Amino acid sequence: MLRGLSRAVDPVSAPFAWEAGADGRRELVGARVTQCALSRICGACAESLGRPIAFVGDDLEVARNAFHAPPLHESCAEGLAETEPSWRVVRTAAFEFVRPTKDDLDRRPTFQPSALI
Amino acid sequence: MAISDVAEYMHLTDEQVEELGRELDKIREEVEASRGADDAAYINKMIKVQRGLATAGRLTLMLTPHSRKTRIPGAVAGAALLGVAKILENMEIGHNVMHGQWDWMNDPEIHSSNWEWDTAQPAEQWKHSHNYIHHQFTNVLGYDNDIGYGILRMAREQKWNPANLGQPVYNALLATLFQWGVALHDLDVERIRKREKDPQEMKRQLRQILRKGRNQILKDYIVYPALSGPQWRTTITANATANLTRNLWAYTIIFCGHFPDGAMHFTEEEIEDETRAEWYLRQILGAANFEGGPLLHILSGNLGFQIEHHLFPDLPSNRYADISVRVKELCAQYDIPYTIGPLHKQYGQALRTIMKLSLPNRFTTSNKPPQPPTRPDSVEAPPVDKGRKSDAERPPRRSELGGWSRQQRAS
Repeated sequence: MLRGLSRAVDPVSAPFAWEAGADGRRELVGARVTQCALSRICGACAESLGRPIAFVGDDLEVARNAFHAPPLHESCAEGLAETEPSWRVVRTAAFEFVRPTKDDLDRRPTFQPSALI
Repeated sequence: MAISDVAEYMHLTDEQVEELGRELDKIREEVEASRGADDAAYINKMIKVQRGLATAGRLTLMLTPHSRKTRIPGAVAGAALLGVAKILENMEIGHNVMHGQWDWMNDPEIHSSNWEWDTAQPAEQWKHSHNYIHHQFTNVLGYDNDIGYGILRMAREQKWNPANLGQPVYNALLATLFQWGVALHDLDVERIRKREKDPQEMKRQLRQILRKGRNQILKDYIVYPALSGPQWRTTITANATANLTRNLWAYTIIFCGHFPDGAMHFTEEEIEDETRAEWYLRQILGAANFEGGPLLHILSGNLGFQIEHHLFPDLPSNRYADISVRVKELCAQYDIPYTIGPLHKQYGQALRTIMKLSLPNRFTTSNKPPQPPTRPDSVEAPPVDKGRKSDAERPPRRSELGGWSRQQRAS
């Protein structure tokens, strides 16, 4: 299986960085989010990122320019956004991976696009 | 002895650690805000110089071997030019581009998603084994495969095995064939030995490595020698010399990054719910710098500033020298050790560790900095396997909003 996962990866129905939570909703897996950030692979299909890099997020994430979902291919982002009505797609050439500080209540890292297209 | 809590080890309060984190964040913000034309000019010039050297080397080797007078001097010059070109491409250009240091330029070529470097390891596998495994789990025993690369015992906590007696030989082989050692690194030899590696993933990776390795061999040992005509042997020898030079240089620089005596190891407890500031602190304590002039630093990919590279792996390498002045000041202010020394001394310490740890611990003493007796964790950590744990073996990190295991601070 790809990247050591014990299941198949599908960029829309079974994206790499997400797993079903207890309530059946998709949840991000922290270790895989970090893997995507640093290995520079797509959080949906787990292949190497291309250009531009895309992020998906709700209006608040877009307004803050800080996303929880890992970087994606443009086409993978568009595919995922179709499954989640609140998500928009943002494109960038580069991003920062921001780890949480001690005071952050939200312990998830964020991605901050630094060269928006 | 491995550290399980960096703040406790350094006798720093939580507030001091976070303050340090904020100071380092400031450095990052300032560099990011000031990135611009000068930085872009730097990397473009570096690439131009590297390609010029490579072209000059290849042309020299094509044109000079046909006359007895010029054959030997031409081969030496060609090998030297090509060797320097390969060093620059691997160290200052490829490694740094793949870290995303230049992504902000939105250049179609100079981007972490595109760059395929001039060595046998596929870029995708390097970005996994180096950018992720090494930079995320820097010097954490059982996690960071760079602690010995699966063939060398580099920490006293790593279990000794009779096979370690051979590590002076493995070390020499690794240095000589470094390109191929790096090519195989992401396969994770330890997991293969334990039969834990997923066979499909291994096949996929091996196919990638074989394709890339074949292309490297074709380029340096078939195509370019063929262009030299009857003197193809001279070109093969020169190309092999260039590759060997790059191998030995890259090995030396990389081994100076985390193996000198002052670079510490950590247990997995340290990384559980690690904050950004604690991550910064682990990077400082787990890395080692070496001294040198600008040319040495460029040829080393600015990895003489290994501490700064580990603090800010995605900031442009040409900035590390300036950043190091401020990082050193901060370390002095917070009484944090800043490991630095001449290149020969740093490598000498790494080599001494390789020799010493080829033997069981009872025959040698540690060269790591002495532990104050009052440290609560000043006992020998239990021995750890060399191999990296899989996701399934690691405790899951909580991903939900607001959930973390340490006591929440009042805002």
